[in-house]
Amino acid sequence: MGSRIFAWLDQRMPLSSIRGYFSKKTVPRHRFTFWYYFGGLTLFFFILQVITGILLALYYKPTPEQAHESIRLIVNEVPYGWLIRSLHSWSANFMIACVFIHMFSVFLLKAYRKPRELMWITGVLLLSLSLGFGFTGYLLPWDTMAYFATLIGTEVPKTLPLIGDWGVSLLKGEEEVGAETLTRMYSIHIIVLPLITLITVSFHLAFNQIFGSSVPIGTKVQGLPIPFFPNFMYRDFIAWCTGFAALICLSTLFPLGLGEKADPLASAPFGIKPEWYFLPLYQSLKIAPATILSISGEFFINLLVVLGSLMWFIIPFVDRRASREQRSTPFSVLGIILILYIVVTIVLAYTTE
Amino acid sequence: MQQSAGPANKPRRDFVSMLLGVWGVLTVVPFLNIVLRYVTPPKLNVVTKESIRVAAVEDIPPNSAKIVRFNKEPIIVVHTTSGQYKAFFARCTHLGCVVKFETEGTPRFHCNCHGSEFDLTGRNLSGPAPTPLRPLKVSVQEAAVIVSSIEA
Repeated sequence: MGSRIFAWLDQRMPLSSIRGYFSKKTVPRHRFTFWYYFGGLTLFFFILQVITGILLALYYKPTPEQAHESIRLIVNEVPYGWLIRSLHSWSANFMIACVFIHMFSVFLLKAYRKPRELMWITGVLLLSLSLGFGFTGYLLPWDTMAYFATLIGTEVPKTLPLIGDWGVSLLKGEEEVGAETLTRMYSIHIIVLPLITLITVSFHLAFNQIFGSSVPIGTKVQGLPIPFFPNFMYRDFIAWCTGFAALICLSTLFPLGLGEKADPLASAPFGIKPEWYFLPLYQSLKIAPATILSISGEFFINLLVVLGSLMWFIIPFVDRRASREQRSTPFSVLGIILILYIVVTIVLAYTTE
Repeated sequence: MQQSAGPANKPRRDFVSMLLGVWGVLTVVPFLNIVLRYVTPPKLNVVTKESIRVAAVEDIPPNSAKIVRFNKEPIIVVHTTSGQYKAFFARCTHLGCVVKFETEGTPRFHCNCHGSEFDLTGRNLSGPAPTPLRPLKVSVQEAAVIVSSIEA
């Protein structure tokens, strides 16, 4: 039966040649092969985000009057609503964690070097999009934490010259965080970002299909490469199922809570913190003195982040040695320093007031 | 009539491509302008009040404060232990969180977001806040606390 359907389809679209094309792809086998799984895992969590996101959108209402109540309805009344919402939140965290692991492993293995520069650039773009998803999604429950974290978050880019004020007003839609902000965040979260992400992911995966996975400089390949289809996909599948099981456990044991409905007139409550992946920025802003080198500390940090991000995009072109297949230790050191900075600031943000 | 794509037609083809290119740019750029203007929030003509009645005098006992909305902005009115009333825009000058009146220890304004502190004249004492809280004129009329938009 299956072979007959295949034969029928094959006469009407180029299935055999597609299969032939995919069967050529292999994954090199060496002592760092393990790190290849995190890209696929990210994709899996993204697919889960799309599915659970669509489900949440069936009940969610993006207005300050109704948002909090509609989430309460999802959690308390809708069958398995609590699970779908928790999955969406846990999977988001897992996805961003995988994005970071994937990115830093690619960075340290110098997999961005020629000819995979565009893979790196689309990848960094996907990181920015993931953070955008996190930021725009955070406000949607309209609870106290969401409200104040967004208030601070939308205030941060204001100090940037030229586009700062305009960018913030574009995000907020009005002077205060309010109804306009919520609808804007919602449409960015469910229309704009998914669309851009889908296009970017397509390119990212296409590049991966064309160039395959890179072998790190000076690493010995062990034995024959792993055929991508079906061998490596089966391995991916195991990672995905394990990831899904972990998500279900965490969502069940630690379901996401819902704070009090946001009151814009109340004093900011104690302990307002953004999601963990914004904590390095949060902590940097917190420890920055009011003025650094006679400019405001906030502006200094923002400038550093903007310049650093631009630099991060063009790393493959800066690290010329790696593109000549030579070791580039300064970049490995830079990667390790960055990882340490991220870990330390996150720990500090959780342990200090 | 069949057109050949031969070299004789090249200048013609180039001309048509250029024409369509210009047309495309003339279509996209003005529309892009429309989209950019559309997504920039409009400045609404909101009627702004000159002053607001915050509360009756007895509603703000000494050493306490009240936060109200005044022309869309939260303001904080504090009744000091020495019997004075003071009013400020309640947004922390750092990143815009609404500050809190803190009575433990020396009475002061505290921002829970990043720990900035202001004394009761609005001066920024510690934390990342770069400037003092903006003060407002406050008065007592007919047993009510009135704040007016004139910055004190």
